[in-house]
Order: sequence, then C-alpha cells, then structure tokens
Amino acid sequence: MSDRSLELYQDNKTQDFTSILQAPGLIFLEMKVLNLLILFFITIISLHALRGYTMDGSALHFLIGAGSVPAYSWKLPLCVAALCICLLLLLSVPCNNHPELVVKIVIEYGIILGICTLTGFGYTGIVMLLLADTMRYRIDWKKRIIYIVAICIAYLAMSGNKMYSLPHVIPLSQMWAYYRQDVRNSLLSVLDMLSLLNTMIFILYMVVMTLSQTSEKERILRLNSQLQMANRKLEEYAQEQVRMTETRERNRLAREIHDTLGHSLTGIITGIEACIMLMDIAPEATKEQLRAIAEVARNGITDVRHSVNALRPDALETLSLESAIRKLVEESEKSTGVKIDLVFPENLQNLDQDEEDVLYRIVQESITNAIRHGKATHIDVRMERVDNDLRIRIADNGKGCDNIQSGFGLHHMQERIDMLKGTLSYSGKDGFVIEAVVPIRVEAEEES
Amino acid sequence: MGDRLKRLVAAGILLLLSIILMSGIYQKWIPRKEKKLTIGVFAGSYWDIENGYYYRILDDAIAKFRREFPEYEVTYTSGILKSDYSEWLAEKLLQGDVPDLFFVPGDDIPTFADIGALRPLTNLITLDREFDPGAFYSSAYLSGQENGVQVALPYECAPNMMFVNKTILDREGIPLPDPDWTWEDFLAICGKVTRSTDGTGVINQYGVSGYSWEDAFSTNGVELFDEEGRSCDFTTPRIGEAISFLERLQAGNSGYNVSGRDFSNGNVAFQPMMFSEYRAYKSRELSLKKYSGFEWECITMPAGPSGDNFSRLDTLYVALSSRTSQEEAAWELMKILTSEKEIQKEIFDYSEGISPLVDVTESEETADMILEGTGTAFNMDTLHRAMEKSVTPPRFAGYEDAREQVSIAVRSILDSNSNVQMEQIIWNRTINNYLKTRR
Repeated sequence: MSDRSLELYQDNKTQDFTSILQAPGLIFLEMKVLNLLILFFITIISLHALRGYTMDGSALHFLIGAGSVPAYSWKLPLCVAALCICLLLLLSVPCNNHPELVVKIVIEYGIILGICTLTGFGYTGIVMLLLADTMRYRIDWKKRIIYIVAICIAYLAMSGNKMYSLPHVIPLSQMWAYYRQDVRNSLLSVLDMLSLLNTMIFILYMVVMTLSQTSEKERILRLNSQLQMANRKLEEYAQEQVRMTETRERNRLAREIHDTLGHSLTGIITGIEACIMLMDIAPEATKEQLRAIAEVARNGITDVRHSVNALRPDALETLSLESAIRKLVEESEKSTGVKIDLVFPENLQNLDQDEEDVLYRIVQESITNAIRHGKATHIDVRMERVDNDLRIRIADNGKGCDNIQSGFGLHHMQERIDMLKGTLSYSGKDGFVIEAVVPIRVEAEEES
Repeated sequence: MGDRLKRLVAAGILLLLSIILMSGIYQKWIPRKEKKLTIGVFAGSYWDIENGYYYRILDDAIAKFRREFPEYEVTYTSGILKSDYSEWLAEKLLQGDVPDLFFVPGDDIPTFADIGALRPLTNLITLDREFDPGAFYSSAYLSGQENGVQVALPYECAPNMMFVNKTILDREGIPLPDPDWTWEDFLAICGKVTRSTDGTGVINQYGVSGYSWEDAFSTNGVELFDEEGRSCDFTTPRIGEAISFLERLQAGNSGYNVSGRDFSNGNVAFQPMMFSEYRAYKSRELSLKKYSGFEWECITMPAGPSGDNFSRLDTLYVALSSRTSQEEAAWELMKILTSEKEIQKEIFDYSEGISPLVDVTESEETADMILEGTGTAFNMDTLHRAMEKSVTPPRFAGYEDAREQVSIAVRSILDSNSNVQMEQIIWNRTINNYLKTRR
C-alpha cells in the first residue's frame, strides 16, 4: 500500500539547498504559533465575557440570546487547548499514502470543527493549516487540486452563517455581546487583523513552498543526469571487460596454436632431417619414418583446426560471410534502432577462413564503435572488389572524433589487417569513416 | 514509525479526553462518597403573595425523600427572590453547578428547554411503572412539554377566572351567571351595571376592569403563534370576533379607563383574576386588606362564539437538570414533589395555587379546606370546570416581546376607526416581520 508519491518535501536534507527547503517548514511553524495565539485570544476574551455576564446579572439574557449553555469556565480553555495539541500532533504525523492522508484530513477537520464550536466560529482560519499541511506532500497536480478544492469547500462551509444553527454553537459576537459596542468592535477588528495576518503568512508559505518545490525538482533533474552518465560509463566498462576477456582468450588460443603447430612442425622437421640421412641407407626405415611424420603432421592439422575453430566468430561457423554480415547488420538494426545500409560485392566468394574472420571483425567492430562512441543513427557499410583488392568503407553520421585515440578496437583492427598485409585508414572529421583495403589471395580462388 | 505511532496515540488520547470533557459524561464515572442532591428554589410564593411558609412543602418533601433514601443529603439555597430566580439559575448554568432538580416558572420553560438545560423526561416516565401521567390535569401536564418532549412536571398551578362583585349584581337584581355563560351574557350584564348610582349622572359603576385581549383571544379559541414563535396568524375571523367584542366592551365604559382600584373599591362588577388571588384574599388573614367592602365570588370566564369557557393556566414546574449525575434520586424526589398526594395536599395548606393532581384537587378534603379557608360556600364545580377547560398560553423563548407586539396591534386597532379586517392584515404583516427579524 506504500505510495512513494506521498513523501514530504522537507524530509530531504541536502547540503546545497538547505535554506530554501527549510523556509516552508519555518513559515508553517509560524502559522501554527499564530493560530494558537488567536485561539488563546478568543478563549481569554470569551472567558472574561462569560464571567462578566454572571457578575452583571445578565446571564439569563445572554442564555436566551445564545440558545445554548457554553462550556463553562475551566472547561473552555482546557478543551480548546487539548484539541489544539491534538491537531498539532496530527499535523506532524506524515502520511504514506492517499487513503491515510484523506482519513487524516477528515479527522483534522473534525477537530477544527470542535475548536470552532467552542470558540463560536469567530475564527475559521485554522483550516489553512490543513491546506498548508497537505501542500507539503509530493502530489501530482490533478490530485492536489482535488485536495485543495475539497478543503476550500469545507472552509467555505465553515465561514457561512449556517454553522450558527448547529447545536451548542454560540456565535462569537453573541458571546462578546457583554462588551460595549465600541470595545466589542475593536476586539473583533483585532481578531480580523490576526486572521488576515494568518492569511498573509499562508500566502507567503505557498509562494516559498512552490519555490522550494521547483528548486527541488531541478536538483532531482541534475542528480538524474549524473546518474545516467555514471550508468553509461559503467556499461562501457562492462563491455570493455568483455572485450578484454575475449582478447586474452584469443591470445591464449594463439599461443596454443603456436605450441601445437610449433611442436608438430618441430617434429616434422626433425623427422624429415632423419629421413634425409636414412634415405640412402635404409629406404624401408625411411618410409616408416615418413609415415610417422605424416601422422604427426595430420595430428598437427587436427590440433590447429580445433584451435582455429575456437577462434571463429559464431556466425561464421555456420553461415557464409555474406549471410553472417547481413545477420550482423540486421541484428544491430533491430537491437539499436540504427539504420544500416549494406552493399556487399557479388564477386566475393571462396575467401579463406582468416580473411573472412578479419572482414567480419572489421564490420562488427566498426558498427559497434559507431553506435557506442559516435551515437550514430545511420551507418553506411560498403564493400567492393577492385581487381584483387577488397575495399571496405564504413561511414556513420555520428559525432565523430577530432582527436582519435587508437583504443582497443582500432588497435586490433590494425593488427588483423596487418596480418593480411592490408591497409587501414580512418577519419573522425565528419562522422567517423573507416577505410580498409585487404588484398585477396587470388591463387586460392584460382585453385578452386 | 515508532515516533509516528506515539504521536497518533497521543493525539487520539487527547481527542478522547476533550470529547469526554465536553460531553460531561465523566461526572457519572466519578464515584461519590456522600450522595448529594441540590434543589433550585426561590423564596416566597409563586403567586406573589407573602404567606411565610416559604419552604414548608419542600422541607416536608425532602423529609419524606430522606425517609426512603436516607443515604442522600438534600440541600437547597434559600433566600433567592422569585424576581432573581431565573437569573440565578442562568448564572448557575454558566458556572456549571446547576442544581440537580429545580423549580421552573411556567414562562421560563421554553427558555431553559431551548438552551438544553432541562433533561427530557420521556425515558424516565416510560421506565417508571409507578408514575401515572393521567393523574395530572392534562392541560397542566401537557404544558410541561416542549416540542413534544416532556421536560418538566407541574408542581402547582392556578387558572385565571372571572371575579364577580356579588353586591353589585344583587343590587341590580342580576343573578350570578351560569358556568357556561357567553360574551353576549357578559356584555348584557356589563351594559346593565354601567350607570350612575349616585344620581349625579356621572357614571361611577362599571362592568369590567382588567379584561385583556388575551382573555378574549383565549376564550375564543385563538391560536396566535406557531410552536416556535416564528410566525403568527393575526388574520383569523376568531381574532376579528375577539377584537369586535373588546371594542363593544370598551364602548360600554364610555371612554373611562376602568382600573383594578375601581374593582377593589367595589365599583366594578367583573375582573379576571388568578384563582390563587381568590384563595389569598378570601382567606381570613388577608380578607381585611383588600376587597373587603363587598361580597365577591369567582366564576368561569365567559365563552366566545367560536371558543369555550377557557381559563388560562399558570403553572410552576419542577424539572431535572440535563447535567445531573444523580438522575434516579432526583427523579424520585421530583416524583415526591409532584405526584405524592400527601405533599401535593399541602399546597392547599401552605400555598395559594392548586394541585395539578386531579384526585387531590377534587377530593372532599380539599373542598373542605377551601371552604374553611375562604369562609364562603365556594362552588368547587366551578374550579373543576375551569381546570378541565384550562389552556396554557403559547410559550416560546422571547414570547414576552412578541406578546407586546400583539398588544400594540390590538390597542391600535381598538383606537382607530378603520375596518378591523384591513387592520388585521396590516398588523399581521408587521408582527410576522418582527418575528422573522427577532433572531
């Protein structure tokens, strides 16, 4: 049932906004004190008047006019004080959700009615305390207006003459009729002034409250953007971590390949050297030796295949290069919403595995960079074959980069292309553009 | 959350406390060591006649109550004058120490009932099987109601009756009127007796003095105000009849304003008076003071054409305070005061009113006592008839002022020569305007 929308504004104690955030609280306190003062004033005067009626022998006249017996001497201030403390306690109780708030407001209104009954509805401004209290909550404007309108209607209902016809209500003017006309008028005008003061403090409260709530909102917005930035950095770190793990793994595999291949080759070389020496002396033994060497070479190849397979991108394991790249593009579009145009040459087949791998990696890395760093919304991937060279141009409409720091991604790209004796160039002037030229091994093509 | 709960609990306790304090229930929870009842009573007779037996009946009632409930101590403040009594009661109300049980003059019932000072008796009456509302004269009993709720019980009452100077009637050869005589009879007798007796030609013997519009209205069955005194119907034909009657009555006096002094000097044939006055001045001790030069008697009021021989009833009530903490005991004492025959009988001994209990007032014993007291052969039937046909004048808070308005209206109509019905309509508006702006 907990409703986080109903938090008190004041409860956030932060360093930089302290002054403006505490101002409404202080003004609210002032309002409370003023209301207590007004009620104290009314009670004292009423008590004096009631005492006066009995002293002057006009008690019967007063009772006929009043139409009911007021709470007598010590009861009046006691009841008013008890109800006031009760109200203040309730005002200081924060609510967690709307039902609680509604119940609280209704009870508080009941208490206010009680106080007003005792004080002859001479002062009804206490309802503003209710209004001020309700404004302290984070309520969206629709609900807030409902609250305000409801409390205002209740306030208006109290201010009319209707209340005088309630049982046990003696209008304050009736209660104070003990005093001479001019004295009573000045007493009533003091009450009016105090009441007006209460209204003015309430208005001030509302203004300061609105100000503090706006500054509060700004603060929240700022905090929010900081949070988003931190979040983004964290994501980047996580991805870098993944890449670094990949690299380590690749290096490990590379070592493994080297070890197995190196081991096999060493064996083969040693075996062949033995064969050279044996060939003339014992042709049969040489044959035997060569068979063993063939076995070693076969094992070596198997090992290498295993290792290389571990290095291959998943997509390339099952698909052709073109399908893999199309799939990559499709998935990127789907997952990021970036528009990617792809031009794939028709006359590009039977590439070696390592060539396919490098091409795939270049496209993958470039798209990733364009999205992650360049914030691009459109990426143009163009691959074409010019004679025996494959030209790849990947351009995005992202923010580019004036001072390119060759990070992990570019560095690896460079490494891979170097392996194929290709060239890599890039520029971050207008979006980010990567151009790579990779020579294709024609023999392999011709062979097949 | 702990803090929140603490505050809520504290607020709840305070709220409960103030409700208890305001409602005054707590008084019933405080156990009292000595059981104490207080009574509000004024000194002297309700009928403004000094008789020296101020608290006699009350003391006897208290003694009887103490015999039944010896654990109770009953006190009253003595020496409060009747004129100060209502104010004294109001002050007690303001100070919060109202007597548990108090006497209420008839006119003050609406005032004290309106401010909620009187405890409604409905449930006490229905729960108490011994109590019989039928034992009272219904008019006296019902007049203890306010807005249909019984708030007081009648203690003593007196109807207003017509006093007749028998000496004049005998001299003029006119017999004593029948008990069901009418305005016409009344006018006829007045016409006959109004003349000069000393031969100078100056009229010195008159028909009636002190006959007010209220007498005329009540005997013609006029209901002027509504229950709460918010509106008034001054245009009814009954009022027209009553005003015409008053006009004719006034014309008979040929412009002379007959006063009560003329009656006591023996020069007037009729004067309405309370029965209590009859008892007071007929009794031997006081008979020398007033009305001594002639024979006089009291009879029913003359009936109007649309009414009856109605007597207006004035009643002194006993009521319970709405704040009493000793409800049962106070009710028992109240019953002793109002419906215990032995106590009620004493009204004929020590007061000038009559008991509102039918059995007491109509008993042989009472007849003997009145006979013995007044020394004349008073026809008790007249009293019974008056009591049975008694009406209680309308009452509401501020009735006195409203009555004054009607008095002005009636006087003005009687003084002017214009059409009575027109005047009635004009004054109806004026009086209703007054009633509307009154509160």
